[in-house]
Amino acid sequence: MNECILVVDDDPEIVGAIAIVLEKEGYSVRRAYNGLEAVDQCLDPAVKLILIDVMMPKLDGLSALLRIRERRNLPVIVLSAKSEDTDKILGLSMGADDYVTKPYNPQELVARVRSQLRRYTSLGDVHAEERSGQIVNGRLSYDPAGRVLRADGDEVKLTATERKIVDLFMKNLGQIFPAEEIYRRVWNEDAFSCENTVMVHIRRIREKIELNPKEPDYIKVVWGIGYKMERHG
Amino acid sequence: MDTKWNGMDNNPGEELEYFVADRVKAALGEAKEKRPGGVKAGIGFLAFFLGVTLVLQSLMAVGAQIAWERDLTPSFFTGGWQETESFRAEVAGSLRDFLTLGAGGKLDIYDREYWEFYDGLAYDSVIMRELEDTCLAQEQTRAGVAEVQRSPYFLWKNFDTGSAVSESGGAYLVELEPGGWQTVQPESEREIPKDANYQYDKNVIYYIKGGTGEDQREYTNAPNGDKSLFKLRTNSEYNFYLIFENGEARIYKDGVELDVYGGGFYNEESQWFVPGYENFPANEQLDGVTVYMAVRANPVRYYSVDYETGSQYSNNRMYWIAQKVEQANQFYRTQAALCGSGVLLLCVWFLLRRHKRFADAKIASWTVHVWTEARFVLGLLLVVCLICGRGLPEFYYGMRELCWAMDDGYYFSVIGLGMSFLRLLLGNIPVLLMLVWFFWLIHNDHRHNPKEARRSLLRPFLRALRAKDLKRPVEKRISRRAALFVLMAVLLAVEMLSILINMTLTGYPSWLLWTVYLLPVLLMAGAAAALARRELGLARDLGLLADQVETVRAGNLSTPLKLPEDADLQKTAESLNDIQAGMKAALEEQTRSERMKVELVSNVSHDLKTPLTSILSYAELLRQEDLPPAAADYARIIDEKAQRLKGMVQDVFEVSKAAADQLPVQMERLDLAKLLRQTLADLDGPIQRSALTFKIDLPEEPVMITADGKRLYRIFQNLIDNALRYALEGSRVYLTLNTSEEQADVSVRNTSRTELPEGVDFTARFVRGDASRTDGGSGLGLSIVKSFVEACGGCFRVETVADLFTAVVTFPLSM
Repeated sequence: MNECILVVDDDPEIVGAIAIVLEKEGYSVRRAYNGLEAVDQCLDPAVKLILIDVMMPKLDGLSALLRIRERRNLPVIVLSAKSEDTDKILGLSMGADDYVTKPYNPQELVARVRSQLRRYTSLGDVHAEERSGQIVNGRLSYDPAGRVLRADGDEVKLTATERKIVDLFMKNLGQIFPAEEIYRRVWNEDAFSCENTVMVHIRRIREKIELNPKEPDYIKVVWGIGYKMERHG
Repeated sequence: MDTKWNGMDNNPGEELEYFVADRVKAALGEAKEKRPGGVKAGIGFLAFFLGVTLVLQSLMAVGAQIAWERDLTPSFFTGGWQETESFRAEVAGSLRDFLTLGAGGKLDIYDREYWEFYDGLAYDSVIMRELEDTCLAQEQTRAGVAEVQRSPYFLWKNFDTGSAVSESGGAYLVELEPGGWQTVQPESEREIPKDANYQYDKNVIYYIKGGTGEDQREYTNAPNGDKSLFKLRTNSEYNFYLIFENGEARIYKDGVELDVYGGGFYNEESQWFVPGYENFPANEQLDGVTVYMAVRANPVRYYSVDYETGSQYSNNRMYWIAQKVEQANQFYRTQAALCGSGVLLLCVWFLLRRHKRFADAKIASWTVHVWTEARFVLGLLLVVCLICGRGLPEFYYGMRELCWAMDDGYYFSVIGLGMSFLRLLLGNIPVLLMLVWFFWLIHNDHRHNPKEARRSLLRPFLRALRAKDLKRPVEKRISRRAALFVLMAVLLAVEMLSILINMTLTGYPSWLLWTVYLLPVLLMAGAAAALARRELGLARDLGLLADQVETVRAGNLSTPLKLPEDADLQKTAESLNDIQAGMKAALEEQTRSERMKVELVSNVSHDLKTPLTSILSYAELLRQEDLPPAAADYARIIDEKAQRLKGMVQDVFEVSKAAADQLPVQMERLDLAKLLRQTLADLDGPIQRSALTFKIDLPEEPVMITADGKRLYRIFQNLIDNALRYALEGSRVYLTLNTSEEQADVSVRNTSRTELPEGVDFTARFVRGDASRTDGGSGLGLSIVKSFVEACGGCFRVETVADLFTAVVTFPLSM
């Protein structure tokens, strides 16, 4: 592989730590320490992905992101100490492909980098997949005919019950299902104290498809209402 | 929520209040039934009423007596009837008649009264009664006299004419109305009496001697012509003697000679208008005339009939003078007695004044039903009755006298004016008393009854008018009032001017009147104009000020109020501008500090997280290295503690945001029971792993509230986490959701592993049950719970009983 990744942060130690982790995984790393440097370096076609901090001197990460987006189409993961939902939404709406809060888990970071690169480089055209009847949702693609779920192109092994739940969610992206509804549809039985049962299965599915099962991106709890599969662009 | 809690807490207090109020009411009711002051109150009020009435009545009667100039001087002030002005005038008049007789002149007794006026002697109503007594022919004259008495103007101007007419025995010119003269013709020609004997009051005995030789005249009415009587100077029957000899009069009273001539000149202070003064000498006609007079100490009435004509004559002037003084004494004695009994009654009232208040209240409870309009009409009626009786003409005469006096500069008396007013006021004493009690009733009513309780037909109308008025801006209201005032002033000025013109046209030209009226009119007009201009300016400024206050209230803090330098409200406007500037500065300061606080929180959070990121990254890397066992252990500890630090930083960040009211919440309707089930399911792993038993009691039906689901999850996650961390191993944790009509309570109860300190607010930041702080918590868990619950519109409280720890989250139900 040996894809080149641009790591941008005003703290050299953080850049160094990320570089070590990524290089261990076989990526080559370029370093930049402020927004302007990042904009300069991103023009190099060798750079396949950018990890960029938000709060930086000279040019902050989000502004740099806008300029990069004008020049290149490549995955950008924003790395920020700002952990509020509003900050995440802002970052994603400015064109980031993913948003990781500091302090990050190195393993999770690597997983996200890998996921983004695979989607941009290895995988085929999203529209082509959709034309072939597949349901595509971010990293996930689901073939309703074969009942096959893929994450970053890899098939996810699911049990029969899990497969039924995934089927329900993938066919109804963004729709909220109360636990009772899920239970009735999947088990074909009247629901009674089913919250734990449903949750156990959802947790298992999450462990198979989510990059960080503790902070899931796809199957989310809508507190006080039910569960849903988050729709991704 | 807060108010609801307070309301529940207050309920028992309110009940207690009602209970007490009931008891007090009951006690008062009993008191009313027993009527401890029932009889006493009645007596007290009656004493008050009668006392005030009697005292006022006597004072008013005396006042009226003075006001009507009835010359009812009581004898204990002057020392008997012989000390009165009337008596002295009568003696002087009689002496003049006697001297005329002695000098051989002709006498017309009917003219005497006029001369008395002319000499400035006080006219006496006794003379009127005397005339009534004396002869019928005088009837018309009396009318004239009555008019004369009222009109010094007439006397002064027309006396010469009057006397000339009367001398010629012709018609009397009598002024009956202002501006018109009327001639009064006597019924029959008056006769000059043949003999003085029966013309004179037999209470006066006289001996007159005059002339010489054949012309010698002697008159007497002494019994048997006994002259010796006059030598006695005093006698059981006659105590007053006047002896005129050699052009000089000597007067003896009760055997004591009086000083007749004083300083020798006749003036205002002289008491006896008899010849012998240096400026009033006895002329040559009186040469050789001697007169002896004696007056009865206690006069009696004499009657005589002239059987030639069949007419009855009686002349009892002295009797009437004495009688009048006796009447006066009687009058003052009666009034004093009435006043005294009134004062006694007032003393009774003073003793019972506490009880009388019940009566006042009772009366007020009756009078409250009377409409304000009815009161007004009644009051007006009483006032009209009062002044339309005798008082008004008297007042009119008084004012006319004053006009004339001012007109000719003849006579002006403040006392006279005051008397006119007194006559106006005291013209009808019963009505005046009724008026006094009328005002007392009004006062009593106003004291006992609130303004709202009084009834009025006009009030709703006035209220509506006022409400309508209030809708106008304040400057309009004020300028309208000022305009009304100016209009009234102008009307008054016009009214006065028209009166003046009318008086001028009807023949009373007077520069004094014009000055007296016109000067105030001009002054008032000027003052009204100046006032109106000032008022309008003030109204405009006040309007601007009111608008500015509204503007400031609405939040516009940038435009100050500019008023002219000399405006009345300049200082107020400046103060308002200062307040505005102060508010602006404070608001800016507050905004800046809020912004700084939020910035500080996120900066600190960022500054903490950046090194923490490095630590965590390198600790992770270190753990992947092949290290000696001890070093690997150290790396693990570093990693663990850094992880804990990460959690704490996140907690601090959230608490700080909450403290700065910067916690964003996304409120939505959700099922609290479901949320709790989801949370429990989510935390199933740690719960199962713990040594605790969770006893869950959640209702099957949805419990809908409005809150932020993610924050709620954090709330219950923290509470359960708290229980997992601090509950006694092997004990049970109870999680229950109870719903009442308006709210849902979630309580988490557990038995603490360690002893719970008393009097500690567990929701305060960095507070923990144990003081050692060695467990994994940040000490912010419950603080976060509290902040989040409150941000979502709920209530959070912690109760500790011994080792039982209870956390209760309350939310209002969403319908």
